[in-house]
Amino acid sequence: MRALATTLRAELVGEGGVVERNINLTKRYIWWDLAWFVWTVANTLTIVFIAEGIEATGGQLDVNEVMTSLLIGAVIWAYLGVLFEFLMETVAWERWEGTIEYTFMAPLSRAMHLAGQGLFAIMYGLLRAVFLFTVCALFFRLSMPDANFLAAFVVLTVASVSFLGIGAMTSVLPLISPEKGTQLGFVAQGTLLVVSGVYYPVDVLPGWMQFLAMFSPATYALEGAREAILEGAPMSAMWDEIWPLLILGVISIPLGLWIFQRGELYAKKHGKLKRSG
Amino acid sequence: MTEPAVRVEDLAKVFEVPEREAGLRAATRGLVRRKTREVRAVDGISFQIAPGEIVGFLGPNGAGKTTTLKMLSGLLYVTDGEARVLGHVPSKRERDFLRRISLVMGNRNQLQWDLPALDSFELNRSIYRIPREDFLAMRDELIELLEVGDLVRKPVRQLSLGERMKVEIVGALLHRPQVLFLDEPTIGLDVTMQKRIREFVAEYRRRHGATVMLTSHYMADVEALCERVIVIHHGRILFDGDLAGLANTVAAWKTIAVVVGNGAGDLSAYGDVIHRDGDLVTLRVAKGETARVTARLLAEQDVLDLNVEDPPIEDVIELVFAREAVE
Repeated sequence: MRALATTLRAELVGEGGVVERNINLTKRYIWWDLAWFVWTVANTLTIVFIAEGIEATGGQLDVNEVMTSLLIGAVIWAYLGVLFEFLMETVAWERWEGTIEYTFMAPLSRAMHLAGQGLFAIMYGLLRAVFLFTVCALFFRLSMPDANFLAAFVVLTVASVSFLGIGAMTSVLPLISPEKGTQLGFVAQGTLLVVSGVYYPVDVLPGWMQFLAMFSPATYALEGAREAILEGAPMSAMWDEIWPLLILGVISIPLGLWIFQRGELYAKKHGKLKRSG
Repeated sequence: MTEPAVRVEDLAKVFEVPEREAGLRAATRGLVRRKTREVRAVDGISFQIAPGEIVGFLGPNGAGKTTTLKMLSGLLYVTDGEARVLGHVPSKRERDFLRRISLVMGNRNQLQWDLPALDSFELNRSIYRIPREDFLAMRDELIELLEVGDLVRKPVRQLSLGERMKVEIVGALLHRPQVLFLDEPTIGLDVTMQKRIREFVAEYRRRHGATVMLTSHYMADVEALCERVIVIHHGRILFDGDLAGLANTVAAWKTIAVVVGNGAGDLSAYGDVIHRDGDLVTLRVAKGETARVTARLLAEQDVLDLNVEDPPIEDVIELVFAREAVE
């Protein structure tokens, strides 16, 4: 028991080291990150403006509600982008920097290594999502009198566990294909959001896509966030979204780790674990 | 009997490499039917290294040196045979194994380019679970030995190649590895820096009793550090033994450089004339004949200067490879 506790403590210290390294790297380029944030804001504005565009061309809709709904979709898209990017960088960026062999030689379990990357990505992504939402909501002067932001935040945090599992699955792609693996990771992110109703209700999708939507954690994150912010749903009402997210998390985390380990095995057998660039 | 620090038996690594002819037709065909060929990077090698020993692992580019070191450090799975380091199978990634080895690659880096080396050292402290006191003592010892006190606070990208290599070595040794794999640690460095790193490796080994396996294209590194060398070519071991033994086996001759005062005439009666530059003549003679030929030269010629030397190690290694090509 004591040995287990010692090992666990040691693993957590190692995980903390990975988080700390990411904090240091982000701090080092914080001004460039802010510049990148401006791009994200601009991108989000172009999506939210669509609602005003529809009204201006004669469409009948509750502009404030549609804008808020689009904003939620755009923020979650941006959040997933950050999450997947960090996890993808577990391999791609280290390969570019030339540190990958050392990282994979370090006495840190792969689970803790990925958890360290993921934990930082969640913290940084959530912070960025809150900023993005606030800036855009202020820009459009959106009215959200009943919004339950805490409930929306909780749903997104719970969904992040499943996102991590899926992120671990996609982060293996640069490991098995140093040349094109990273791009394929973005395909996974896009596909996930398309079936999850990122800017529209899932009901408008073809039947087979609606079926796939049931297995996407983004579906429940988007539904929960919209219910909480647009309808002011209380925390207790979030359970409908939280339990599927918990089930998906329980499945996706071990599955993601297993897939990553298979990818690592493949890379070590075929000599793919080396620097590129 | 002491367990060897490194034990390798019939170790082999085979890669499948895609291969196609040039041109659009071949490229299109390659989409549906990919042609590959097997490359035996390491082809059934066996050796043992005792604890505390320092061994030079020599061979030309593509000989299989780095592949072997990567298998020994668990970065590559073996195709065949067995490798054990400190009693562990490297590919199993056992924590106790990973905490006791280090691989330093001259053309790679473990330190983050954007951060000062000190930050990366802290990461290593967490990952290798080094108690803070031990960490600080070792870090400061290494910083002092390599004289990098003023470098570790700068982002690594601002350091020169030699400076970077020195801080990389500090990072790689913070956890006090018992087995050290050095893959071209002096590559691209100037002579002074090469010497500094050589001295450091020798000192680290002396202080900590570490086992070292070194690959280098600079024979000065090998001559200065290694009593034993393993020569590998095309994935196979051509020689395993002490450095002097290698010269005796492959190049059982010495050179006598002699300056003759009365104008160098024909000295071919003393040995093979391999070089002539004015009064300076270089002869190649069988090792066993060296003393007799030297005495004859001194007795029969007006010798102003005479120098007897072993063949340069570069020539010896070249001879090993040439001999393999003929066989």
